[in-house]
Order: sequence, then structure tokens, then C-alpha cells
Amino acid sequence: MPELEDAALDFLLARAGLSATEEQKAALRAAYPHIAAMMERVRKPRGRMAEPVLTYGFAEEDLQ
Amino acid sequence: MSGIPTIAEAARLIAAKKLSPVELTRACLGRVKELNGELHAFLLVTEERAMTDARAAEAAIMAGKPVGPLCGIPIALKDIVDTKDIRTTCHSKILRDNVPDTDATCAVKLAEAGSVLVGKTATHEFADGGPSFDLPWPPARNPWNTAHFTAGSSSGTGAGVAAGLVLGGIGTDTGGSIRGPAALCGIAGLKPTYGLVSRAGVAPAAYTLDHIGPMAWTAEDCALMLQALAGHDPRDPASASRPIPNYTAQLGSGIKGMRVGVIHHFHAVDYPVSAGTQRGIDAAIATLRDLGAVVSDVTLSPLAEWHACGNLISLTERAAAYDEWGRTRFGDFSASVQQRLLLGAMVSGVDYVQAVRRRRELRAELQAAMGGLDVVLTAVQPHEAPRIDEVPDQNVRQEPSFTMPFNVTGYPAMSICSGFGAGDLPVAIQLVGKPFQEATVLRIADAFEKATPFRDRRPALVSGLVAAQ
Repeated sequence: MPELEDAALDFLLARAGLSATEEQKAALRAAYPHIAAMMERVRKPRGRMAEPVLTYGFAEEDLQ
Repeated sequence: MSGIPTIAEAARLIAAKKLSPVELTRACLGRVKELNGELHAFLLVTEERAMTDARAAEAAIMAGKPVGPLCGIPIALKDIVDTKDIRTTCHSKILRDNVPDTDATCAVKLAEAGSVLVGKTATHEFADGGPSFDLPWPPARNPWNTAHFTAGSSSGTGAGVAAGLVLGGIGTDTGGSIRGPAALCGIAGLKPTYGLVSRAGVAPAAYTLDHIGPMAWTAEDCALMLQALAGHDPRDPASASRPIPNYTAQLGSGIKGMRVGVIHHFHAVDYPVSAGTQRGIDAAIATLRDLGAVVSDVTLSPLAEWHACGNLISLTERAAAYDEWGRTRFGDFSASVQQRLLLGAMVSGVDYVQAVRRRRELRAELQAAMGGLDVVLTAVQPHEAPRIDEVPDQNVRQEPSFTMPFNVTGYPAMSICSGFGAGDLPVAIQLVGKPFQEATVLRIADAFEKATPFRDRRPALVSGLVAAQ
């Protein structure tokens, strides 16, 4: 299982503007393998053309 | 009056002038006074507003004005639903004194239908995490056994409906927050199709997964509420613009020949449910067969695939929604929400987009699987309600959710009571329809409820109180 290095954790938290206690950091390190497993599950060999669900079209009201 | 009527029963009696909305409301408020100290279902009881609403409903009835089935019906709103001039806290210290200056669209629609607002119900903080004991108000308790959990996050509405403090209420559902409490509290709860019910004025949890829907004692009552709630709203950018069918028209017409696909591997292999939950599922399938439904097996991607997709989207969208307060008021969130926000910081932009690319694939998969079916069926919860002091940490859920797949796809999904399991606590099944086919889901749910005895029984603490009233 992937581990989250202290420096990487500090970087991620700083980027998000969040501060965590040592207890919370320990919980995050424990949780990270599960997050990493979820990330791995959604990373499929689908090629660059596979679209996200967020892409959108224009409805009639956009044209008014 | 004796007993607790359903919305449908009360509506018939009110229309026939055999039941006074004022008396009905007083009975509900009486139960709130007796039981809310134990259940913590309500964060705020709007007694004055309720009596004003009830008197207005009664006046309309007595004047012979045309009214709908919600006229004079006591209801509750989850406290993440904005209510004009009425405190709306999201069960959070951050908003403990927040009084909105506008109503959420769902609150407007229920008020226009003549319902009676009894109050604002408990939730998990901003509909996330929980149950938390470090907030200004305690979490709701399960009326079937107050030492046990309601599930969340529409916990107060679930407890309030089960205990007959109100006849129906609003829940919201980002990963199962209508269906979970409906299941553990033994009531009916419908997460409609994404976009059918406006999200405007309701605090976001995760924008693309959030749904607003009815919770009530029966499927029929959910249909009556949905009739009032559904419809296009320009205030909600995801609002669908479609004709709204009559959701009660097909109720009682039977389900012979309807096609039910059972996703056995979800609840038997991917995440095996408790013996009591499995018995409820098996018995429900037998009942549906007896009613004439054609039952087959359906295979989808493993539950963990749907859970990963939904959970990554949920963590990230929530972290974005609460980014400002995360940076400035982090210490004012509960420990549970703090941890959720911290987890959101672990997910990169690339990971988020991979999740929404996966979402498109999973939606296509469900669409194909449901091609020859009317509904699919699986579990709602893995087991009966746990003790509230033994609820595992929700922040790093290794166990996949049975409800999240239908937030990922946006398909309508409903929880209905399928019996009682360990500790004599309720168990439930989940019925899932095609987009905008709520009428089909409700028809099957209603037929099941009317063929089984589970709607005849209320929690013991309520039965005793009603008998004494």
C-alpha cells in the first residue's frame, strides 16, 4: 500500500490552506492507502478521448 | 384522534372534514414535546408557525377552497434547507445563529401545497460525517431503540417520521442520506432523479451528487410529497425541464409482469449483509414474485468501483464547497467534518477528473443493464442500526456503500422497510428505477408495502404514547 511521506502531507495541507494536529495527520496517514486505492480504481486505461461526465451542451434557452 | 395517520389517510379525512388540521398539528406537537428530549429529532420546533399554517389550512378547507393532499399535513425540513426568517443551522456551530432571508425552493413548494411546518430537523454537520457529539446539538436517536443510530445525514427527519412527530419531511441525499435513515428508522425515503427536485436554497454537500427528496411512512406518502416537490426551477442550474407525471396514478394497479433485476453480488459477495438484512431481501423478492413480477439477476461492476468514484467526487466537491471556511474557521467544524475536509485535500485535480470520467462509464453500464428492466433491487444498509456509541468512523470507509452507485448515476432510488432483523430493528430494500421513472419505483414499492405487514407497526415508545393520548 502506498504511504504518505510527512513532507508530502505537509505540502498537500499547505496547498489546501488547512492546518492539522499531529493526531489528525496520523489519521490521514492511516487513511491514505484507502484514498490511494480509490484513486487507482478510477484510473483506467481508457485513452485520452474518454470524456468526463461534466462536459455539457447548450440548451434552447442558451440561444434566446 | 387515535393512531398516527399516513399522509394519504390524513388527506382523505381532512378533505372530508373529519379531521381538523389544527387537531392533527396539536397531536404532532404533543408528541414532539413528549419525545424530542429523547430522540433529538428537531433542532428547532416552529410551534407558532405550525399553528398559523394549520389554522390557514383549516380555514381553506372550511371555505371549500380547492386544496391538495398536503393541505394541513405536518411536515419537517432538514436543517440544511433555508427557511426565511427561521434559523437554519446546518447543525453547525458556524451557522448556529444563521437566519436566511429567503426560502429554499422545496420549502416554498411544500408551503404552497398547504403543509404545516413543525420545525427543522437534525442532520450531520453540513450533511456530512457524523454522528458527532462535539456540536451545539446532539445527534438524533433511533425511535426503535434510542441507544441506536438513525444513520445519516437526514437523521432527524428519519427519526421524526418514524416516531410520528410529523407525517413527512424533507431529506437530502449525496451518498445515501435519505435512504440510509429511511432504512434504519423503518420508513420510506425516495431519492429522486438528479434534477427533478430543486436544490436551490439547500446547503451543498457535493454539487453533482446532491439530491432532495421526500421521507414519509409509506411509498404512497412519498408520491404525494414528490408531486408537490418536482418541477423545473431556474434557481437550480441542474434542474430538469420535463413534464411532471401523476405519481399516484399507477399506485394500486398491480405489478404483474414488471421486471425486477436483483444485483445479488452487491449484497451477497461485494459486501455481504447481515443475516436479518438478507432475510428481508429474500422475503421481498419472494413477495414481488408472488405479486407477479418477473425477477432476474443483474451483474454490474463491483460495488467498490462505484464507491470509489462517488467518494472521490464527494470528498473533492465538499472540500471545494467549504474551502473558505476550511481556511478561516477550520476549528469551528466538528472533528468529523474536519477530517473529511483534510481527506479532500489529498485528492488532486487529475484524480477528480479521472473519477468523473469513470462516472460516465458507470452511468453507461447501468443504463445498459437496465435496458430490459423496470427496476433493480439491492440492499440499502449492510445491517440493522448499530448502537450510536459504536458507529465506526465514517471518514475512511473501507466498506462500500449500497446507495452511492445511484448518486453517481443520478437514477431514482428508494428505501422501503422489508421487515425486522436483529434486536427487532428495521431492515430495508432499495428499489432503483430509470431516470424520471419515479412513478414505476413508487408503484412497486407501494404494492410491496400493501402486501406486507410492516407498515402496521410503529416503534414501541410511540405506540405507548399514542395509546395514552
